[in-house]
Amino acid sequence: MGVTIVQHYPMTENRTGPQVIEFLTKRVHAMGAAQAGPFLVDCETYNSAPAFGPPRTVHLLNNSEQPATVFSILESGQKQVPLVSDPLFMDLMKKLGSVYTCKQQTRMEAKGPRFEVADFLVKLGTVTMNANFKGVLVEVEYRPCLVPAACWELLREFMQGFLGTCVPNQPPSYLQNRMQDIYQPLDTIQQYLDQFREYRKAVTVR
Amino acid sequence: MAYSVNVAIEAPIENQIQEIAYDGTEVYQQPLSMSESLSKLAAKIDFGKGQDEKEEKVVDKTEEDAKDPAAYQSSLWPWDSVRNKLKNAFTEVCVLSDVLAIAKEKRYLVLDPVPQEPPETKAMVTVYARKKALGGAATVLLTGAERLRTSQSEAARNRAASDFHIELLALRKNWRLKKVGNSIIGDVSYRTAGSKFASSGMFEVTKAEEEPSSGWSPPQSPSAVAPPPKTPSALRVTLPSELQGVAYIEVHCRKDDEALFSTTVTSSTLNTAGPMPDMHWQKKLEAAQNVLFCKELFNQLAKEAVQLPGPIPHMVVGNQIVASILPGIQLIIGLCHSTATKNKKSGPPQQKKSDHDHVLEHSIHQLLREVHHKNTHHPFPHPSSGPLGPSKQRCLAGPSAVDRHELMEMSKSKTLLEQIIEQTQHFTMRRRTEYVLDTIAKEVRDPLIISHWNSINSPTKACVKVNIMTHGYDTICRTLLIIHVGKKSLKCICRDGSVMNMSYEIQELRDLLICQIQQHQITAVQALAKCMGWQLLSNNTHLGVGEVQQMGNASSCMLASPMGDRLIAVRCEPQAGVHVSIAHSPRKDFYPGQLVKDRKWENLGGGFKEVRWDKMEGKNFLNKMELLMASLTSSS
Repeated sequence: MGVTIVQHYPMTENRTGPQVIEFLTKRVHAMGAAQAGPFLVDCETYNSAPAFGPPRTVHLLNNSEQPATVFSILESGQKQVPLVSDPLFMDLMKKLGSVYTCKQQTRMEAKGPRFEVADFLVKLGTVTMNANFKGVLVEVEYRPCLVPAACWELLREFMQGFLGTCVPNQPPSYLQNRMQDIYQPLDTIQQYLDQFREYRKAVTVR
Repeated sequence: MAYSVNVAIEAPIENQIQEIAYDGTEVYQQPLSMSESLSKLAAKIDFGKGQDEKEEKVVDKTEEDAKDPAAYQSSLWPWDSVRNKLKNAFTEVCVLSDVLAIAKEKRYLVLDPVPQEPPETKAMVTVYARKKALGGAATVLLTGAERLRTSQSEAARNRAASDFHIELLALRKNWRLKKVGNSIIGDVSYRTAGSKFASSGMFEVTKAEEEPSSGWSPPQSPSAVAPPPKTPSALRVTLPSELQGVAYIEVHCRKDDEALFSTTVTSSTLNTAGPMPDMHWQKKLEAAQNVLFCKELFNQLAKEAVQLPGPIPHMVVGNQIVASILPGIQLIIGLCHSTATKNKKSGPPQQKKSDHDHVLEHSIHQLLREVHHKNTHHPFPHPSSGPLGPSKQRCLAGPSAVDRHELMEMSKSKTLLEQIIEQTQHFTMRRRTEYVLDTIAKEVRDPLIISHWNSINSPTKACVKVNIMTHGYDTICRTLLIIHVGKKSLKCICRDGSVMNMSYEIQELRDLLICQIQQHQITAVQALAKCMGWQLLSNNTHLGVGEVQQMGNASSCMLASPMGDRLIAVRCEPQAGVHVSIAHSPRKDFYPGQLVKDRKWENLGGGFKEVRWDKMEGKNFLNKMELLMASLTSSS
């Protein structure tokens, strides 16, 4: 468990999703990476029924890195309430069907291979929304460090090394005001949620 | 007749004696006068008799008078008869009153009852009557006795019944009972305490039938109700055959063929006292519970031994589990169950009891008890929805977002057999370490070796502090070692902070200790030299010169006297001991030779001569060194 950066990898015109993944896999392999299983991050969004006042949204996210945990983020207006809980929370949400309804079309998923490169963990994720391909997300984790400020430069250099210029020089907006804090698994989830939101907004493949 | 006799003739007393006075004088009655005798005679006349006749005559006369009123009138006046009758009656009443007055005096007249004829008595009737009366009384007494007896026996029967209920109550306090139909079934199993052993521990509780031989003897006094302690219990428990007898688990640690130590898992009281047929139910049930516990323990260990993968697979043969713990050392766990019928089955364990060790006995018990405890005592808080049973760490894993690797670590748990093997390994390692420390302390006398075992330890970890010092010089130099005894390895932290990791081969520890002893000698000499004002010229803990040592390296140091004219060289070898050489510089006598022509070269020193150390005066090495330095220190 270390500092993680979730990075969007832009698609080019003449490449399909699997091709991009294959292309990146080759690059990662070239760095001497070893594949270490698959990974999966998924997100389900629940909307509150109109009878219960102002609209609220609950995002339920699962990360295969933390298999015994369900992350949920409640959005109501500008406020966000994150909750880290047992998987039983999923069952609880199903019981609350009269209050929160799940929109199946908005189910987001990022899954793909997972690689280990020395202290780094690289995950190449294909993003799909309701089984429609939306783009490619690359997650890079630097495992020995827990403070983003201490390793952002290293991570940036590493990412720019194999992803190219798409990696910005600034850390992701979510992390920018948390650079001195201890990194939490929830921070990864927040970055994924931010990315998924962007994918939802985008009409075409990003 | 020649002589005459005077004969007095007296007239008989005519008068009757009226009274005799107290002095004997008799008072005579006066003889009756004529009229008196007449009245007396007249008194003898029965008036009543004559009256009746007279009355009849009077009645006749009245009838006649009625016929002839003239004649009647002529002789008598009309109330004459009535007057006569009244007069007669009056006379009689007067006489009667006189008689009564006289009779009342009881002096002259006594009224005697008229004697009646005695009632006729029939002997047989009285006999029968008495017999009947006695018979009635006897039946009353007999029925009373019968009632007393029945009430007594009733009370006795009630007492037995109440004993049974009281004992049942006592049984119920400690054991689980339930009523099935007409029988009472109990359970000795540890299932409520968290055991998951499938075998049932059912037993039946019955009322003990009354013993026919003893008979019923009435108690000496009704107050003596307290039953004697020898009375057999009114309650009987029936156990299934597989729970009868005594069971225990035997643990040996065997080095090749020689037993290092052995232990049996059972309480000693149960082991010594065989199962008696008339044991009290409490002891009987406790023994049965022990049997069940031992069976569960062995069952669990056998299951684990079969499943546990190891470099050398564990063997389960019959009622024995053989597990190798260290090369050449095996752990043997056996289940001994002796029933009442074949009581003397376990012969060999009896003689092995001499080297009984209670540590493993306790820990193997404790391991299963811990499992039981964990099964019933779930960590708080208990979720109202969701599974009970995962550890607290696992419960918190979800909300604290634990990653995959940590979850994997969490799911790892050690089986009972693994734990007991680890404990045995540690036990063996500890024994070996103890042995090495003791033998070295015995062999090496010069620096004293003192070991302190840490009293705070765990079943798989112990710590010993070894102090090396010289007697009398302990304030000058001490060498401290800490040895951590683990499961299969030893870790030694030396005085200089270096950490030595050693395997289970105990020779490594021995070698290390011997090297440490030699180093201690060299450091102690240096410290002593500082005290004596000598100067340390050089010091080498791993000397590269000299003959090759079998083990470790020789260490050396060179000391110079305060004036600088004397030198002492000390060389310590782990095996060969200490060599001390001295040199003078400059030498007092100088003979110019072919190579050394000038006296000034003698200032360079050299020309060491070895001291015959065994001939030196002194109690130990440091004492000898002190004396040597003292003798070599020149005042000028």
